[in-house]
Amino acid sequence: MPLKVTVTDYGVGNLYSICRSLERCGAEVEVVSDMSRIADAECIVFPGVGAFDRTMRKLLPYREEIVSKLESGTPALGICIGMQILFEGSDEGTSPGIGFYPGRVRPMDAEVLPHMGWNEVVTSDPLFDGVDDRMFYFVHSYRGCPDDPGLCIGTTEYEGKEFASFFRKGNAYGTQFHPEKSSATGRKVLQNFISFAEGLV
Amino acid sequence: MLAKRIIPCLDMKNGRVVKGINFKGLRDVGDPPQLAMEYERQGADEITFLDISASLEARQTMLDIVSETAKNLTIPLAVGGGIRSAQDMRDALNSGADKVSVNSAAVSDPGIITECAKDFGKQCVIVAIDGKKVGDRWEVFTHGGTRPTGIDAVEWAQKVQDLGAGEILLTSMDADGVKTGYDIPLTAAVADAVDIPVIASGGCGSKEHIAEVFQQTGASAALAASIFHYNECTVAEVKEFLKDRGIVVR
Repeated sequence: MPLKVTVTDYGVGNLYSICRSLERCGAEVEVVSDMSRIADAECIVFPGVGAFDRTMRKLLPYREEIVSKLESGTPALGICIGMQILFEGSDEGTSPGIGFYPGRVRPMDAEVLPHMGWNEVVTSDPLFDGVDDRMFYFVHSYRGCPDDPGLCIGTTEYEGKEFASFFRKGNAYGTQFHPEKSSATGRKVLQNFISFAEGLV
Repeated sequence: MLAKRIIPCLDMKNGRVVKGINFKGLRDVGDPPQLAMEYERQGADEITFLDISASLEARQTMLDIVSETAKNLTIPLAVGGGIRSAQDMRDALNSGADKVSVNSAAVSDPGIITECAKDFGKQCVIVAIDGKKVGDRWEVFTHGGTRPTGIDAVEWAQKVQDLGAGEILLTSMDADGVKTGYDIPLTAAVADAVDIPVIASGGCGSKEHIAEVFQQTGASAALAASIFHYNECTVAEVKEFLKDRGIVVR
């Protein structure tokens, strides 16, 4: 039985790349726009398209369910905005976030924004095992700022400053980069995530 | 550290890749989805499809090619050419494009930039600027470089940034297709004037030209077509060359 991955569709942007990428890793992908179905998920992916408030609109009524689902150890991966919404809130919008990651999303401290293109992620997390080059595709103007520095498991340098680009709390990973847009390197990280999730369910 | 991006550009007409010389004299060089995959394999950081056909039927062909390409490509795909409205943009994004570039329509209706940035996020919105030296400044041309607008290219770049563009694709009309190198003064002037990434385009004839534009301007990315299409060098060779010169690439 392949791992069933529930991908949340916030109703903005296309989920083409992430779904195809997960399928290529051998997962069975289920796209849900009714967020109450997260409660039954085996593994959740919050994809990385859209702005904070629009992304939260559909999720907001299910905040508590999502938090307890993640607290219970369900494997999850939030990508870009899908990671940012796991925080308590964002300077990009006015909506509260899911609030699973304690902390807030703040603007990048840089001159040229968006931070767009390929950059290195420094981490020793096992999700990067077997990943030889550590360059991933980024496109964002905000970043996650966790209250507990232990939540940050990987960093990236931009314009001479370091920012948190990789997060983990329990079994919920968050990436500021887009593995689904990062060619073979991203493919390997997604494969590792799928193996990690399979080991849990 | 953020790597400089190398972007092969596929100029397309009626579903096939062509490359213009000064936007005229087209020659067929291949099948888009196949070429895009080959460039990803070579280490391209992004792919740009530029549709230069004019007809409405060709637009549908283009969207079909975008979705066929997006099925297998795992690097970002930008699509431009013939984008006239927010709906055109939505169609391209829904077909699997990650970014859409708008050129003439942004000049005739600058509000489209803000509208698209609001709907899709500014990272999806590239404003393409075709600049040509006129007197002591660069003027914006539209409609495939055929129509002068009287607008100053550097000022226009600042304005599109304020309107919500996430990136600028800057093509020098003077340099395009002649393979004597990017337009360094134009690229430097625009990159210095804005705080969003600038993609240099037009004039690339060798890997030296790519090194030059990164060493002498603030461009974040370099777009090239013919040097890759005609197998003059591969993306991997360009990157090796840049790495040897201390330029950060993936």
